[in-house]
Amino acid sequence: MAQHVVRVRELVRQFGTRKVLDNLDLDVRRGEFVALLGRSGSGKSTLLRVLAGLDREVSGDVRVDGTVSVAFQQPRLLPWRRVWRNVSLGLHGVDGRAVADRALAEVRLSEHAEAWPITLSGGEAQRVSLARALVREPDLLLLDEPFGALDALTRLAMHRLVEDLWQAHRPGVLLVTHDIDEALQLADRVLVLDEGRIRAEHLPPPRPRRHADLAELRDRVLADLGVENHEAA
Amino acid sequence: MSIPTLAVADPPHTAAPPTAPARTPRRRRLPNLLRWISPVGLLLLWQLASSSGVLTEDKLASPTKVLSAAVDLAATGELGDAFAVSLRRVLLGVALGAVIALVLGITAGLSRWGAVLVDPPVQMLRTLPFLGLVPLFIIWFGIGEEPKVALVALGFSFPLYLNVYAGIRDTDPQLLEAAGVLGYTRWERLVHVVLPAALPQTLVGLRQGLGVAWLSLIVGEQVNAQAGLGYLINNARDFLRTDQVVVGLVVYAALGLATDAVVRAVERRALRWRNTL
Repeated sequence: MAQHVVRVRELVRQFGTRKVLDNLDLDVRRGEFVALLGRSGSGKSTLLRVLAGLDREVSGDVRVDGTVSVAFQQPRLLPWRRVWRNVSLGLHGVDGRAVADRALAEVRLSEHAEAWPITLSGGEAQRVSLARALVREPDLLLLDEPFGALDALTRLAMHRLVEDLWQAHRPGVLLVTHDIDEALQLADRVLVLDEGRIRAEHLPPPRPRRHADLAELRDRVLADLGVENHEAA
Repeated sequence: MSIPTLAVADPPHTAAPPTAPARTPRRRRLPNLLRWISPVGLLLLWQLASSSGVLTEDKLASPTKVLSAAVDLAATGELGDAFAVSLRRVLLGVALGAVIALVLGITAGLSRWGAVLVDPPVQMLRTLPFLGLVPLFIIWFGIGEEPKVALVALGFSFPLYLNVYAGIRDTDPQLLEAAGVLGYTRWERLVHVVLPAALPQTLVGLRQGLGVAWLSLIVGEQVNAQAGLGYLINNARDFLRTDQVVVGLVVYAALGLATDAVVRAVERRALRWRNTL
């Protein structure tokens, strides 16, 4: 039964009378990279919070098998702790400095280990946040639009980094995003969330992927999201 | 009184931090020197008024008289003794007040029940004019060191409590959430998230509290003292020694400034994570 790291059945989350998540089913296999696309208000962040254990006011069956870590949209680093401490705090029974140094090398920030978070750029801070999440060797890595606040070039570099890290560590990943290209580029499976349910599922072609391979799939996903495609029309 | 002038001493110094690039030393130093013109002028005016007999010595001694009185008092050891006694009272009172304020502030800040039980009575007591408690303190503690230390502790603890409580309550909930997801223990959450988050506000409370502490000491020492700066001043008053009275006041002011400088040094060190840009 260790095949799935996430198994959700008939999940309902209500705010007042509004069902943000409405009888939602979701599976994530071990080591699988799943992207969850949706417009704002589609419930994708709520779902992620439920899986992270931050929201327990739910009904239905939610099973997360293994350890979980999260990289949030904002890096949420402790400004009063140096970068390496931010990475290693909360780990127990290990040499925090050594573990942090290794993780920071992976996100190519070794030279910033002693820096204060306030001195980092947005992309660097987000990489620290990724290192902090990965150092916990999670079975499930939740990414809550972690590239949303970054500029386009930094974002592309981050995509490559995330893909490399995922290949190296193989956690199950649930990436919540509203960036279609990001989802198609990175994920094994792209889910479209709408009105609290998984509305569609798409399987991008095998890796490595070129941009051109994804064009047609991109149109179909856009249609699922309710965005008119001018060129096709 | 001398203590309220503490804040006024800040702006010219903070305007030119020591780390600032020394590209234009002339332009930077000139305004600071210019600012001394009027204080020195007033001092000269004071001296002139005394020398010419306009200002008589039984009203206010001349600056040179004050200076020589300071030298005399220092030479006999009276000033040093008084200084030590007063400093000890403040340090004891501040230590006692800090323990009370931190325990109450952290209790109220961390737990819902703590806030419900601790905050209302503290807020009510805060509205009391605590310097008016001197008669009660004399009845309770006698006329020794205890009422003075207690008064300092009381005056110091209110500002500190308020700021510790507010600082803890203002902890960024997003950081707490992240700490929870990342597997911090309760202790780690307290030590690495909540308390550091409350530290800037706590240091503000510390500075406010120290200002009140010196004020409390001066009031406490006026009423009934057998030693200390207040005793020295009262004694001088009985003999119409205005020069010695002024010496006592100047020492009070210097002590206030010194403790403020200490807190600022602590601040620079403790909050260096946000001063590195």
